[in-house]
Amino acid sequence: MTLKDLREDIDRIDTRLLSLLSERMEKALMTRSFKDRIVDEGREQQVLDRARRSSRCLASPEFTVALYQDIMQESKAIQTRSPSTLGFQGDHGAYSEMAARAWDPKAATIPAREFIDVFDAVQDGFFDYGIVPVENTLGGLVGPVNSILVYSDLAIVAAVDMPVSHCLLSLPGADHREMRSAYSHSQALAQCRHFLARNRLEAMPYYDTAGAARMLAEERPGGVAVVASRFAAELYGLEIIKEDIQDSENNRTRFFVLARRPAPEEAARQAGADAPALKCSAVFFTEDKAGALFRTLEIFAHAGINLTRIESVPNKPGDYAIFIDFEGSDRDRAVAQAIDKAKAATRDFRLLGCYNETRL
Amino acid sequence: MKDLKLTGARPEGEKTVIEIAGVRVGEGLVVIAGPCSVETEDQTIRTAVAVKEAGAAMLRGGAFKPRTSPYAFQGLGLKGLKILDKARRETGLPIVTEVVDTRDVSWVGEYADVLQIGARNMQNFSLLREAGKSGKPILLKRGMHSTLEEWLNCAEYILAEGNGLVIFCERGIRTFETFTRNTLDLSMIPAVHSQSHLPIFVDPSHGTGILGMIEPMSLAAVAAGVDGLEIEVHIDPASALSDKDQQLTPAAFTRLMKKLRALRLFMDGLSGSDGPASESIPRARRSAEAFPDGMD
Repeated sequence: MTLKDLREDIDRIDTRLLSLLSERMEKALMTRSFKDRIVDEGREQQVLDRARRSSRCLASPEFTVALYQDIMQESKAIQTRSPSTLGFQGDHGAYSEMAARAWDPKAATIPAREFIDVFDAVQDGFFDYGIVPVENTLGGLVGPVNSILVYSDLAIVAAVDMPVSHCLLSLPGADHREMRSAYSHSQALAQCRHFLARNRLEAMPYYDTAGAARMLAEERPGGVAVVASRFAAELYGLEIIKEDIQDSENNRTRFFVLARRPAPEEAARQAGADAPALKCSAVFFTEDKAGALFRTLEIFAHAGINLTRIESVPNKPGDYAIFIDFEGSDRDRAVAQAIDKAKAATRDFRLLGCYNETRL
Repeated sequence: MKDLKLTGARPEGEKTVIEIAGVRVGEGLVVIAGPCSVETEDQTIRTAVAVKEAGAAMLRGGAFKPRTSPYAFQGLGLKGLKILDKARRETGLPIVTEVVDTRDVSWVGEYADVLQIGARNMQNFSLLREAGKSGKPILLKRGMHSTLEEWLNCAEYILAEGNGLVIFCERGIRTFETFTRNTLDLSMIPAVHSQSHLPIFVDPSHGTGILGMIEPMSLAAVAAGVDGLEIEVHIDPASALSDKDQQLTPAAFTRLMKKLRALRLFMDGLSGSDGPASESIPRARRSAEAFPDGMD
């Protein structure tokens, strides 16, 4: 054991401490939806008692209690500030979180395990908003998300179209000559296949890009690099070996921001040349007969409304949910009329939302 | 030089033009300039901006340095490559940088436009093979104790890997003369032109090691028909961490570039009225048999 080894252990522990602290603040913020007021003296006493009793470390009970008082002080300050909460799937540092921050830099971004957890938590009021990827220029439709959207009651209140720039990350000071493998989400690894092959890095699939970055920072395995965002590098204190390692330059992902209620009118009506594009999304089913889909799409063509996306998602055998995105707002007369006609021509036509789309 | 299947001169005398990020090497005069070593981001970017202003087509800068002493500054490594990458984004100049270790070839290739193989590594055959596999343009310097034939055979190693993008660079050889750092062998310009279809550059900075000799030797190289020059320029040569006595200031480099352009124009005018001089040099003066393998 050397001083260097011990300091590496300490770095590892600090990374975990900070990430746990952040998780604690997030959970505390989420208690908001269960409480009438922020301060709960009984609960505070409970936390402090436990800190005092279970203080088995070198530090004195007085220190532990003071530390917890500080933590709860900050926690209450955050709850008083009451930022809106925005859930995303993955670990901190995920591309979804980057998109979320681009949409609202002030929101508290909180991770969720699966896509469905994001939807459920917004539905149940634990998150004010949720952000999910819907399509990627290289990977196509994000299947699970679109399948949930078919039956979700949530409204789309914004869209973010973001370039995805993968970076190769390592522990600070690691020798690039020693790197043998790269961990990341299989989708990200596939997008960097040529880069990894050129540099003889074995692709190691992991559940999440940011999760891989977190694993590297917390466990510090040797000879390992990860493919993740620049944001993940900053968050976990990793070194960027190389930016923009994806094989194709046209790697973009489009995200939907979801909420319980549709976007307020003023938000969807920003005027000006550099205002984000106004779009609507809808989902519907058609009858299983010749020309049924064509006649629905024809309504939009006749009204001169530009369709920007058409996707079909399998529902039951032989039955497909059709997603369409189109330009405009349901406050425009032509768009509103087309929507009414489409409702008559289809089954279960549902307007998912009219919103601003931000292109980064 | 009968074994030069890929490097040797073509029957009709056609020359190879190598395109590097919009710069055509083998046509006109291409000048690579920049510091001996990448020291800081500020030093590299300020030098890059200055040499671009003066008319340089590419930026050089060492990130991995082959130094005589293991205790001398070894270069910034990967950090240096990132700085060069930034300099390229700021100036648009393609990057030329040396690679000294086979394990670094792919990584240097991720950042640089041209991989330089230095004089000390000219006959490092595993490095040549890796460089060949990278598919990147290679600036192959002449070993300080290598014959033309050995040099051309080293290029053959790279071409044999399927990489035809090789640029020769004469940088002086060891002779009994000690006044200059090396003896710059300008006769290699017409020699390479007669024996190979690949372009040849001259590095007057290492070739002489003397500041005042860089200009006359550069002009002489242009007069001899060189395809390009590699010149060391530092924003503040007095503070350089390596080769401080042979790096030009941006002002001196700007003056030199003016003279080079004027001379090149004059030489183009001359060759318009006459055929290329290399016609009169025999294709293969000595056969390979005169120097059997295994001598070294």
